[in-house]
Amino acid sequence: MALALENVSKHFGSLVAIRNLSLSFDVGSIYSIIGPNGAGKSTVVNMIAGSYSVTSGTIRLGATALNRLPKHRIAQLGVSRTYQNLRLFDGMTVLENLEVCFFPQSWLTFLTGAKRLSKAERLDICHACLAEFHLSDVADVLAGDLPYGRQKILELARAFVTQAPIVLLDEPAAGLNHTETKDMAAMIAGLKREDRAIILVEHDMDMVMSISDRIDVLNYGELLCSGTPDLVRTNERVQEAYLGTTEELDDIRKLAQSRRAQGGLRANAGIVRH
Amino acid sequence: MGNSVIVRRLGLLAVLALCVVLLALVPYLPSYYVRVADSILIYIILAVGLNLVVGYAGLLDLGFIAFYAVGAYAYALLASGQFDIHLPFIVVLFIGAAAGAIAGVLLGFPVLKLRGDYLAIVTLSFGEIIRIAINNADELTNGPQGIAGLDRASLFGLPLTSPVHFYWLLLVLTVIVCAGVYYMERSILGKAWRALREDQDVVRGLGINTTTLKLLAFALSAAIGGAGGVIFGAFQRFVSPESFTFQESLLVVLIIIIGGVGNIVGVIAGAVVLVILPEILHFAAQYRLLIYGVVLVTVIVLRPGGLVSPRFNLGFIIRKVRTLWLSPSKT
Repeated sequence: MALALENVSKHFGSLVAIRNLSLSFDVGSIYSIIGPNGAGKSTVVNMIAGSYSVTSGTIRLGATALNRLPKHRIAQLGVSRTYQNLRLFDGMTVLENLEVCFFPQSWLTFLTGAKRLSKAERLDICHACLAEFHLSDVADVLAGDLPYGRQKILELARAFVTQAPIVLLDEPAAGLNHTETKDMAAMIAGLKREDRAIILVEHDMDMVMSISDRIDVLNYGELLCSGTPDLVRTNERVQEAYLGTTEELDDIRKLAQSRRAQGGLRANAGIVRH
Repeated sequence: MGNSVIVRRLGLLAVLALCVVLLALVPYLPSYYVRVADSILIYIILAVGLNLVVGYAGLLDLGFIAFYAVGAYAYALLASGQFDIHLPFIVVLFIGAAAGAIAGVLLGFPVLKLRGDYLAIVTLSFGEIIRIAINNADELTNGPQGIAGLDRASLFGLPLTSPVHFYWLLLVLTVIVCAGVYYMERSILGKAWRALREDQDVVRGLGINTTTLKLLAFALSAAIGGAGGVIFGAFQRFVSPESFTFQESLLVVLIIIIGGVGNIVGVIAGAVVLVILPEILHFAAQYRLLIYGVVLVTVIVLRPGGLVSPRFNLGFIIRKVRTLWLSPSKT
């Protein structure tokens, strides 16, 4: 199954957040969408998940056009996601946070029980998932009482528990420290499977470079460059978008030198450091 | 098995026995006390029903009494001389519940997109609209005069005439409603409702149709309200719009807030307190609302979660009893 964006645009009033973007994501790989702040990364995720409507263009999952469907239908078709800011059900236990994902999807299944998992089956799947994400010891703890790092992992588990073929991860490393980020990267890399596409929006470059099969760089709502981590790393336009042009960098250096020459100021004052 | 376990088991038995004896003794009290007990039970049923919407799904409904009115008028119209229709009580009980559920869905549809304060305002208006409609539909409901001379109810050949009869009926129904709601609370439906209360958008993102989920809460809750209304009609044998004012809706919400939102044990405690309080303070009847206000403020200041702690719920009690009985070593 493949997810495809075809000439997708998104306008917020007069602001063009995404312009004619075409991307395709096949199962079996990990994709990263990166770009400077305001490039439109989260907008892409929100359009795929159905939180934002699409101004023009089509988003397809297999042969189905997603962008006219309500959000819960998109999720039912196999698109799951995490959120930039943690959005767990804080007042429910860790286990219950996963169990809710198995709520019957239609009146028919709800009333007849057809195709519906029994309680025991549901619990088995959830416990197996907790074990996979090293959360078994806190199954009965309220999600809101977990430390931040483990809440992040629980949100990850919630996105994977239903075996959705398309998983959108919106900044899984945000707010994590260096060690936690490395663990998170290893965990996500370990979740790569033949029948699953993982699409990552992330600022942590170490993570993005180490686990992605393909990186799509957005700038001002347009695709700047797309390719393997090595290709993106050495791409000049990407460096410019992130760091500014070489002339701009030179200007900053000159300014710093002149300040230093004036004395009285600390050596590094006024320098934008990366 | 140690002595302490035996002592604890005996203690538990004593508490259970005490509850049963107290409940069984009520019918032997003077009629006034039986009526108060009936009133408590009716409010427990109503509050447990409303709690589905307010406590679990997190939707503040201030017009709940409208469903109670729908049930009461269902009995008044279908079991009285008004149109000379005399359906049996048990039939009207189901009709009343169904009518309540339909009214619940009718209210649910327009308010689906509203949350918080706006939802409260619209539901409040809905409650008033139903009452005013009843007040003005003279041909159907006799307007403000109400409908009198409702049929004496009977259930499976047993007459329901005295407060004692209704006490037993209400007690059974309370147990059924509490058990049913407890079962729902524990089921995946209850979990989905609690998730809905916490974050509606995320629930949709999990592939759950929140429209269905909300309508189901409104319908089930209103069905319980409707059934309560039928019993009220059969008990009073007289209905008029005056019984279904906004104050009544408010009282049911207060029972939930003061007892403990989303907690059946709390709701029971809240109903007991708020029904008995005005009876004790009968001499100060004109200050009833003021007293409610003082109680509400006191509870919110001292125990913001309600009189009963959220941890002390039906599940907790059942677990406690079960572990003490089956594997006392774990306790």
